[in-house]
Amino acid sequence: MRRAGRVALYLALALAALTFIYPFLWMASSTLKPPGEVGTLALIPDHATFQNYRIMWGRAPFGRALLNSVFVATSVTVAVLILGSITAYAMARLTFPGRHALNLATTAVLLVPGQLTLIPLYTLVVQLGWIDSYSALIIPYLFNATAILMLRQFFLQIPQSLVDSARMDGMSELRILFSIFWPLARPPLAIVAIFTFMGSWNEVLWPLLVVRDQRIMTLPQLLTVFALGGGAGTLGVSLAAAMVLVVPVVIAYMFLQRFFIESMAGAGVKG
Amino acid sequence: MPSVTFDHVTKRFNDVTIVEDFNLQVADGELLVLVGGSGSGKSTILRLVAGLEAVTSGTIRLGDTDITERAPRDRDVAMVFQDYALYPHLSVRENLSLGLRIRRVPKEEVSRRVAWAVDMLGLTELLDRKPKQLSGGQRQRVAMGRAMVREPSAFLFDEPLSNLDAGLRAQMRMEIGALQRRLHTTTIYVTHDQVEAMTLGDRIVVLSSGRVQQIGKPIDLYRAPANRFVAGFIGSPPMNFIEGALEHADEMTWFVSDGMRIALAGVSAAGLTRREVTLGIRPDDLRMTFPSSGTAVEDGSIRGRVELVERLGGSSHMHVHAGSLHILAVVTALELPAVDDVIDLLILPQRVHVFAPDGQAIAIQG
Amino acid sequence: MRAERRAGWLLSAPYAAFLLAFSAYPIVFALALVMMHWDLVTRPSFAGADNLTLLAQDARFWQAVGNTFVFLAIHVPLQIVTALVLALALNRPMWLRAFWRAAFFLPVVISGAVVAILWNALYATDVGLINAVLARVGVGPVPWLTDPLIAMPAIAIMVTWKNVGFYVIIYLAGLQYVPKSCQEAIELEGASAWQRFRHLTLPLLLPQTVLVVTLSTINGFQLFIEPYVMTGGGPLRRTFSVVLYMYTNAFSYQKMGYAATIGVALAVIIGAVVAIQRRLIGQAEAM
Repeated sequence: MRRAGRVALYLALALAALTFIYPFLWMASSTLKPPGEVGTLALIPDHATFQNYRIMWGRAPFGRALLNSVFVATSVTVAVLILGSITAYAMARLTFPGRHALNLATTAVLLVPGQLTLIPLYTLVVQLGWIDSYSALIIPYLFNATAILMLRQFFLQIPQSLVDSARMDGMSELRILFSIFWPLARPPLAIVAIFTFMGSWNEVLWPLLVVRDQRIMTLPQLLTVFALGGGAGTLGVSLAAAMVLVVPVVIAYMFLQRFFIESMAGAGVKG
Repeated sequence: MPSVTFDHVTKRFNDVTIVEDFNLQVADGELLVLVGGSGSGKSTILRLVAGLEAVTSGTIRLGDTDITERAPRDRDVAMVFQDYALYPHLSVRENLSLGLRIRRVPKEEVSRRVAWAVDMLGLTELLDRKPKQLSGGQRQRVAMGRAMVREPSAFLFDEPLSNLDAGLRAQMRMEIGALQRRLHTTTIYVTHDQVEAMTLGDRIVVLSSGRVQQIGKPIDLYRAPANRFVAGFIGSPPMNFIEGALEHADEMTWFVSDGMRIALAGVSAAGLTRREVTLGIRPDDLRMTFPSSGTAVEDGSIRGRVELVERLGGSSHMHVHAGSLHILAVVTALELPAVDDVIDLLILPQRVHVFAPDGQAIAIQG
Repeated sequence: MRAERRAGWLLSAPYAAFLLAFSAYPIVFALALVMMHWDLVTRPSFAGADNLTLLAQDARFWQAVGNTFVFLAIHVPLQIVTALVLALALNRPMWLRAFWRAAFFLPVVISGAVVAILWNALYATDVGLINAVLARVGVGPVPWLTDPLIAMPAIAIMVTWKNVGFYVIIYLAGLQYVPKSCQEAIELEGASAWQRFRHLTLPLLLPQTVLVVTLSTINGFQLFIEPYVMTGGGPLRRTFSVVLYMYTNAFSYQKMGYAATIGVALAVIIGAVVAIQRRLIGQAEAM
């Protein structure tokens, strides 16, 4: 390509990249600005202050919400990895009547829009008495059809002779799964872990339905309620709350960027 | 070491019969080879012994113990797989010891057995490598070592050499044979390669479509194949078959075909006017002569035109076109005819095989 | 084998139970709820076709559907064009390629709630960043979220910004399969860059485009958190989405039967729209 063309391309890309990154930088800097400065374009605050964070921390239980989010997302991720692997192993490597039906049902579940089941699931959770409990946030997410199909696809590619050999070595099916399949399945497990954790970490509609008690709220829900309820007072305080949700994700994203892209793009296409 | 006994073993999958009424006793310390093409049921028989598949009916015994219903881990047999099935994430040492650790064999005993196996197989230098870092032959040895350390009552080999290149295959074949004779462990060895079967087996079972075609010592299968399938399967290059008929003339029995006839001693065709049969003759059992021009072909010879000569060095393969027949002869003569030359192939009469239309061999007294 | 069968049942039983409780039962119960009045407190009562009649005559519901179509009409084409342009720009060996890709993908990993709160600030008429930038070039101030005609397009632009990185990845994957020999062949024919794109790249990317259309449509029908946080459905209910309306009926009005009816209707609409889109794209391809 001609030199001028290359320069133009890089300029355009830089501008585009700035469009995606700058708002987050601006958000970060705004949280450090006193109320009067927030509307300005400048990234470096004139009078940097942690006041927004102090106000935010004092007005709503954000520390607790952070712990809730970590607890819920971790539980869901661990469950999806363990239970999903067990299910995928059975569906990929064991022959039993009903396996085909289970396969079909799993594919069918992915085709049903979430909006259809949202309200009946909500009434179910109400009747089970799970409103304002971690159960409501965790149990409906224990299994994930996308994760199961993805792991199953990978498990199908592992040679049968490894399974045979392990059986003759005296391993139980679960032991074959966890000590032979898991070490081989690290890449797909990482992909499943990332999209499951991110999905749970960022989820807000479901918590808005089933949790009203601030002590059970996850971070994105508390953030939404806080920003909407006017509890925040100023924009800087709202954005400070948002930072608590974003910073761990951005740090993880910087280190595991390739995994994140592969994981979330893959899950979106398959889901 | 106990024997392995099959008693009326049948395996069906849905409506397809994979193994039909299989009966056999593999003797203590014997190396028995199951040979056949794909779909012959040979691998299935091995997997039935291993417990990786369940019999439809019949029983399998190890010594006096009925193991038909036992889980693979409770059968005291060890298997070497075609693709070796080494655990990719474990080192050679861990691959060798895992099966023992699962069985809670004491630590010192595990180290002793691993040391014994790696010493015998020449793997000592490779103990800390992962399977990926090994050559094909080394992986093969690790797979055997993993079976050996278990000190099982029987070894099962499932086409263990088919992933190796030709040179290595010959070498590993000899190693397996030597090892088995040293350990004297009852062994069932599955292969599709008749050369492996001939060189390794104490006895060979030839299978086709889930049925036993013949059981016997390699040389017996070669000399006296029970049917046309075995005759065609065992021996390389394969036997020539000539369609024809038996006729009785001049107080003798003749095999007659297009442009040739040969007297068969010991086959009685008295009372028969004519009986359709197939004559089998191995390429090594033909002698080439150059006919003088103008003479008719003699009894017991086939006259034909040379189509192709493949020189292998010590011997040569001659493809000869005789009427509607294509005959392959292995000759050791140094003077070879040119393509399109006319030659006679003399059939050694005591080496011919005769098969009835149903494929069964008709006995000949040689 | 018997042992294997037992293991298979044992290991898949938890999932089978989960499917029954959290997938099969809700699907069946959704259809039952359509024929119920239920406030979660008193006993549910049989409603017959009440909910369906109400839905047919409910101007608010149909406005929400209309709003969603406005959203889609802007969001889907914009999403295709921006994703395609960015993917084409990145589809060559270049300096910092991984960084550009990561930058475009960044908003995808951020919670929709955060993006909504952030863009609320960016869109603010008086103190927002966007109007501050526009003011530098002499435009505005634009009442992004307070003008009934502008609010929904503003949200559509924002959602496009959030998701574009995801679709760039899809297009980049598709571009890997445009054979180099084809590129060279058409270049030898003397085709211009635009002709190459029009006659080679674009047709070959059709499967990806179908995927982008389908996924961004389904995603568009799920619009909830953005209007919930940014506009509350206003101004003049012009950003009220169907899911937001369903949520309001369930959570604020305790009308489970009607909320479920909206959910069922939405599922039917999604299925129909995606089917029509696929057929139209199929016809366009045949031409």
